[in-house]
Amino acid sequence: MSATLSTIAEFVVRVAFWMALAPLGPGIINKVKAWVAGRKGPPVLQLYYDLARLWRKGVVISTAASPGHIIGPAIAWIAISCAAALLPIGPFGSTVSFRGDAFLFIYLLAVARFAIACASLETGSAFEGMGTAREVSYAVLAEAALITALITLSVRTGSLSLSGMLTPFAGSGVMLIGAGLFIVLLAENCRVPFDDPNTHLELTMVHEAMVLDHSGPPFAAILHGSAIKLLLFAVLLADAVLPGLHLGGLGGMAVTVLALGIIMVGVGAVESLLARFAFRRVPLLLITAFLLCLFGLLAAWKGSSLQ
Amino acid sequence: MMNPGTFLLIAAAALVFGIAAAFRAPRLWLGCTFIAAAAGLAGAAMVLFSGQPWEFMACLTLGSQPVHLRLDALSAFFLVLLVTIGAAGALYSMEYWPDRAHPRSAPAGRAWWSCLLFSMGAVLTAANGLHFLIAWEAFAVCAYFLITLDRQRREVRLAGWIYLATSHAGTLCLFAFFALLAARTGSWTIGPFTDASLAPLFWLALFGFGVKAGLFPLHIWLPSAHANAPSHVSAIMSGVAIKMGIYGIVRFSGWLPLPAGAGWTILALGAISSVLGVAFALGQHDLKRLLAYHSVENIGIILLGVGLAAIAAQSGNPEWGALAIAGGLLHVWNHGVFKALLFLGAGSVLHATGTRHMSSLGGLWRSMPWTAGLFTLGAAAISGLPPLNGFVSEWLLYLGLFDAIDARGPAAWAAVPAAISLAITGALALACFVKVVGIVFLGLPRSAAAGKACESGSAMRIPMLVLAAICAFVGLAPLALAPALQTVARAWNPSWSAIRLEPSLSTLGAANLAFLGLALLISWVLAGRVRKNGARRFGTWDCGYAAPTPRMQYTAGSFASTIVSWFEWILRPERHRVPPTELFPQTAFSSEHTPETVLERVIAPIGDITMRFSTAVRSYQHGRLQAYILYLVFGLVGIALLTWMGAAMFKGLP
Repeated sequence: MSATLSTIAEFVVRVAFWMALAPLGPGIINKVKAWVAGRKGPPVLQLYYDLARLWRKGVVISTAASPGHIIGPAIAWIAISCAAALLPIGPFGSTVSFRGDAFLFIYLLAVARFAIACASLETGSAFEGMGTAREVSYAVLAEAALITALITLSVRTGSLSLSGMLTPFAGSGVMLIGAGLFIVLLAENCRVPFDDPNTHLELTMVHEAMVLDHSGPPFAAILHGSAIKLLLFAVLLADAVLPGLHLGGLGGMAVTVLALGIIMVGVGAVESLLARFAFRRVPLLLITAFLLCLFGLLAAWKGSSLQ
Repeated sequence: MMNPGTFLLIAAAALVFGIAAAFRAPRLWLGCTFIAAAAGLAGAAMVLFSGQPWEFMACLTLGSQPVHLRLDALSAFFLVLLVTIGAAGALYSMEYWPDRAHPRSAPAGRAWWSCLLFSMGAVLTAANGLHFLIAWEAFAVCAYFLITLDRQRREVRLAGWIYLATSHAGTLCLFAFFALLAARTGSWTIGPFTDASLAPLFWLALFGFGVKAGLFPLHIWLPSAHANAPSHVSAIMSGVAIKMGIYGIVRFSGWLPLPAGAGWTILALGAISSVLGVAFALGQHDLKRLLAYHSVENIGIILLGVGLAAIAAQSGNPEWGALAIAGGLLHVWNHGVFKALLFLGAGSVLHATGTRHMSSLGGLWRSMPWTAGLFTLGAAAISGLPPLNGFVSEWLLYLGLFDAIDARGPAAWAAVPAAISLAITGALALACFVKVVGIVFLGLPRSAAAGKACESGSAMRIPMLVLAAICAFVGLAPLALAPALQTVARAWNPSWSAIRLEPSLSTLGAANLAFLGLALLISWVLAGRVRKNGARRFGTWDCGYAAPTPRMQYTAGSFASTIVSWFEWILRPERHRVPPTELFPQTAFSSEHTPETVLERVIAPIGDITMRFSTAVRSYQHGRLQAYILYLVFGLVGIALLTWMGAAMFKGLP
């Protein structure tokens, strides 16, 4: 009984930790972009201020919208947080780990997508329709890449739980998986070159177009959820690629923080140096990610059968 | 002493009595159907929990064969689904297809409903090939009359005809299958066979049952039949009738010695059906047709499990084989339940608005909150989202697939593409159901009919509520089903006796429960915060446009256009477009329609060619005696030549 209670307590602490740290990610990315462009840029903690402000604000709801307009973001928020809590973080491992939690992880992200997509279609706006259609369509290819990456990790370690898949030394094909997962990270979090989080031209947006009519606390939940999702993919990428993460104690922690920082800076650098792709080229890039993961799978297969 | 046989006898008697009651006393008929369902459920549960098959040999004969009935765990498993959907659909039909609106077809529909339940029950319990065929044919015919209840409409008659013709093509194969089986073994009794020379017969069974199951590309009858049948009939067709095809495939893949490559073929057919089924669904604008294509998809998912299990049985790997068959069979139940829920929900929409066309719907959540909520739950379940039932079966399937991959055997080469196609199917199904929920229930009404809709009554709502509750229960307490699944896996392959599914299912159930609790808590917190901060209603932001109309909303076609364009090579969408021209364009429109490609581009042309050939041949039969005598002379000369040459040719042979 006390073991269950301590598990629950650790789970709650972990979710709180994720929620507290996640808004740093977009702050770092924006700082990098500003630095590359020679601007001063917003403070790193800007998203915290924004979230606090939105949380206190009133809400304008479309006359067409049902209560799902508010419940959708709430479900997405908690689904992403639960998915994050399933991930092992470097030296800390994971609280809840069981055979097959990797599939729960992927499908919790799908729950978040379903909830946000339905919530955004509530308003009956064509902008939201466009954004949602793009989001759910590209997610098909991203999910194929993600499952292939999981197959690779599972082949390498013979494990079906995230902590088992992500703990041992990365092994062969790691660069391929890393590149594939990085592209998936950019796509799933709607970064350049898939989507421009800064643009305000609705016709060219994916994720932002989806949430145009959200405001106040539900919008804060959406923004915070996307920040957690960004961090989640960064942790997944770091766990999958870096061997040093699993050193115990301070060393492991330092490597973890460093790796996450590098990934965020990398996203910022991509965003500064690349332009957004035309929509018809987006599937090609995602298929590239899928193929990278598939070649990673072949490499892992070959590599571990030689041992 | 109550044994399963007593319960089945009660069920059968209640159904027969129900047929008599159907014409005069609808409520009595409903009561009979409920009694039959309860008795059937009790009998099936006894077999499932005890694991002991029930057998009955009567001294009675039918077609010179003694009546031999058997209910083992596998048939009991399907029987549970049959009685659940049978009872739910019966209650639903009381309000959906009442005597007031359909004075002629409503009583007939009730009688055929009882006949359908009876004949499907007979298919599940027949232990004699001949009786199986009789029951199978009776079931196909009952289903035909139910599909064509509304046969004043031309498209209904056409759909019924395609169903009947295709179904008989499949039945023809089954005739060949059972006849050859009987000829080889010398008896019509069906049961486990050990003679390895029977293996090739499995291909006949796969085709015959595959037609009924609606796997791609044998699904041609399915979309139009499901779309045009009354909705409670669509529910039982999609939820149970096509599962009879799965029952046949599972049954005989367990009983027959499998030919080499059978598992691989089933797995490949499953992968193709799942991905293409959902791709076709995305191209549809007709709500019920779309749901029908999702049946093809889910049959594909079920076959992924069955195929992998067959590979495991052939290569002797019970560890992942049991997971695969458990996942596949659990998906049989799950799909039966959530698809029936979705069809009943679609029926409520049709009942309230009079249209199945998604582009005329929209904003129904306001007038039909129950239907909207329950349909959305069904949509989440069919997309395989936790914490609902669809996720549990797909999760078991993923475990089986990944274990097969990690085992590094030859099966991994099948399991890798299968796992990827399962993931793609899940994401595509999610996209499709976001489209359905968004276009039909959210936003603003796109037509006056949709604006004037009103919620259906309790006889239609209660079956939906019950089915939705089952979806949630299976998702939250999958452990409760573990004993039944283990019994069925053992019935399918008796050598897999030491399989335990509990450890995985109990953790999954706990995780699902925790997620549901957290989701409710956070929704409550967020809604409370919104209420505290104050919410104001205002029109949707429309970029400053001054005269918005509901017609400006995104349509089903535009929503799916990206994905449809990826599958254009098979979907072959037909586009009609008048682009806007000049400065003040007058008329401009664009419409897109995805046909049933296999039927219209493959089967129909073959039929045309056959008809043209037959017409050409027919012109030789014109009633002129002189020409007939000429044919006779030619024929005689031909035979004479053949005899003479043949005698010369075979002279040297012994």
